[in-house]
Amino acid sequence: MKFKKIFCGVLAASMIMGLMGCGSEEATINTSSTPEEVTLSINIWDTYQQPGLQQILDDFTAKTGIKTELSVITWTEYWTILEAGAQGGQLPDVFWMHSNESQRYMENDMLLDITDKIAESTIIDPENYPEDIWGLYTSSDKYYAVPKDIDTIALWYNKTMFDEAGLEYPNADWTWDDMTEAARKLTKPDGSQYGVAIRNDGGQMGYYNMIYSNGGYVISEDKKKSGYDDPKSIEAMQILETWINEGLMPSLSIMAETNVEVLMQSAQIAMTIQGSWMLSSYEESEYALANIDIAELPMSKSTGERVSMFNGLGWAASASGDHTEEAWQLLEYLGSKEAQEKQAELGVTMSAYNGTSDKWATSSSFNLQAYINMMDNMIINPYSRNTFIWDSENNEILKQAYLGEKSMEEVCKEMAAQQNKVLADE
Amino acid sequence: MKSKKMSPQQKNEFMWGWIFILPTLIGLVILNIIPIFQTIYQSFFKTGDFGRGNKFVGLDNYMKVFADEEVWQSLINTFKYAIVEVPVSICIALVLAALLNRKMKGRTIYRTIIFLPMVTAPAAIAMVWRWVLNSKFGLINNIFGVDVQWLSDPKIAVYTLALIGVWSIIGYNMILFLAGLQEIPADYYEAATIDGATGMKSFFYITIPLLSPSIFFVCITRIISALQVFDLIFMVMDKTNPALSKTQSLVYLFYDYSFAQKNLGYGATIVVVLLILTLIITAIQMYAQKKWVFYN
Repeated sequence: MKFKKIFCGVLAASMIMGLMGCGSEEATINTSSTPEEVTLSINIWDTYQQPGLQQILDDFTAKTGIKTELSVITWTEYWTILEAGAQGGQLPDVFWMHSNESQRYMENDMLLDITDKIAESTIIDPENYPEDIWGLYTSSDKYYAVPKDIDTIALWYNKTMFDEAGLEYPNADWTWDDMTEAARKLTKPDGSQYGVAIRNDGGQMGYYNMIYSNGGYVISEDKKKSGYDDPKSIEAMQILETWINEGLMPSLSIMAETNVEVLMQSAQIAMTIQGSWMLSSYEESEYALANIDIAELPMSKSTGERVSMFNGLGWAASASGDHTEEAWQLLEYLGSKEAQEKQAELGVTMSAYNGTSDKWATSSSFNLQAYINMMDNMIINPYSRNTFIWDSENNEILKQAYLGEKSMEEVCKEMAAQQNKVLADE
Repeated sequence: MKSKKMSPQQKNEFMWGWIFILPTLIGLVILNIIPIFQTIYQSFFKTGDFGRGNKFVGLDNYMKVFADEEVWQSLINTFKYAIVEVPVSICIALVLAALLNRKMKGRTIYRTIIFLPMVTAPAAIAMVWRWVLNSKFGLINNIFGVDVQWLSDPKIAVYTLALIGVWSIIGYNMILFLAGLQEIPADYYEAATIDGATGMKSFFYITIPLLSPSIFFVCITRIISALQVFDLIFMVMDKTNPALSKTQSLVYLFYDYSFAQKNLGYGATIVVVLLILTLIITAIQMYAQKKWVFYN
């Protein structure tokens, strides 16, 4: 039985070693092909946008003969895979870029520099897209991505529940206090219905809008200081605290196990704050189409302002890809008025191309005009070089307020302290 | 070997021996041994973007790891998971193996059913359990009319995860035990029956001692993989889950630092610590086995 003992030992050792070896496996291999039949690999993270984008990509293939292969990877894994790909020189040919990460990718020359190509192009003129979105994808005065879309935030509410409670629908004159008041009336004590739901990670689709409308901020303009300890930010966050403490929101456990939009579509909550990119999810729900609608976000009572966070994705290409010329052709097409209009018309998202959003507003039976109206006063979603780190740490700290372990004021100060520390290291 | 010179036959055997183990050897060196040293090397650095511009920081990462509450909490979580998963899965698998080793109707069907979770993709297992254990819409809470937050109550979530782990590993342990059981000669049992031993007695006095090499093997491999638990937690626990900090394992933390926060140096330090811990635990087990493992 000596053999068994040795076998045991060897197997044990190799299993321990197995742990150390993980890490560099996640890169897709691009097989190079002959010039006539180039296939561009494309990565995105939103399943709901896939069908619409596929149509646009098919148009591109019909026009140029360049084939495309679209893969959807969930948000969390997307960045892991992209990071591994960037490190191993195996990035997809074309992919979405987000303000959370763009800085690092641009500074390290991972993205194809398209400055000269845009200058030569007759299709893409930077004038036609919002300046702030170009700002997200510009480093040292060079362009690294073509604006894909623009998004704003609005309030979704359940009409049937409002009717039942005998309440007036949310309207453009609402303040956050009105929303709290309505939430109180819409919450049922037996837990079968809650007034509102916003998760601890619902910054852009939630409390950021409250903070900024109240005159507070999340990150200073020079990206050196957190705004969570600003009295106005704290005041806004205390509205959220009221919702938590009075039980107007489901517990964080429930929201963690079941996404907010699913709770909304299964008649568990009466109101929530959602980004315009969530539209496709609601379109797929028959219940939502019959019972749910959209209104503008409430405004702050003290400032009288209504603010929507906004952001925009960019289409970027790999700097080290085998088909950068074809990739640029695709970027150019995706940024063209034609493709941008189609994206809006199909209801995929609002498009970055100025003036195409009206087409989007009529693409659905929901009151999408609310999202367009929110464009009147927009602030770019807070970001810095290491957004992910301070953002996810803040979400972790904020859980304590959701669980009732600490007051919102304490939590805000704690978030500010850690965020300042991360920002100091940037 | 007495003489220094090898006979031609010995030479031949020597050469072929090496040729046969070469593929495994190359694989081990490239996939395991080199990365181990790279990881250890990396743990002394503050890594830059995309693995460029690394800065040597000496033992800084280690200092930080030992002072990091999150690391200690994850270590506790990992141990809690292992303490439930390993003994429970071994006990149940042992009983099942003993039962399914007898001649009975439908034996292969039972064996197959119990082994099935092993061949199912971990992601699918996680998805199904998430649904079964969902506190609002889940099967268990609705059937039994209870309101338990299986996966998001910080006090119980880690044990729930361990039980899912048990469920998915039982089949594998059982197969190993079955193999071990088939090596035990039937004579022992016959002799025991003649002496008047009951089924229980022969299980404890014949089966377990003679199966101890298999039990030891399962024990050592299960502890190592329980300490490395990752995919289950990653798939089942959402980022916003309030129980996350009380369930994340060391490997989960390593993933979070290395791949989500891109702090590869710190992530490397965490796994090096885990490696050392695993080595110590395994060494203790190898030593302790002399006392209870019975090789005939």
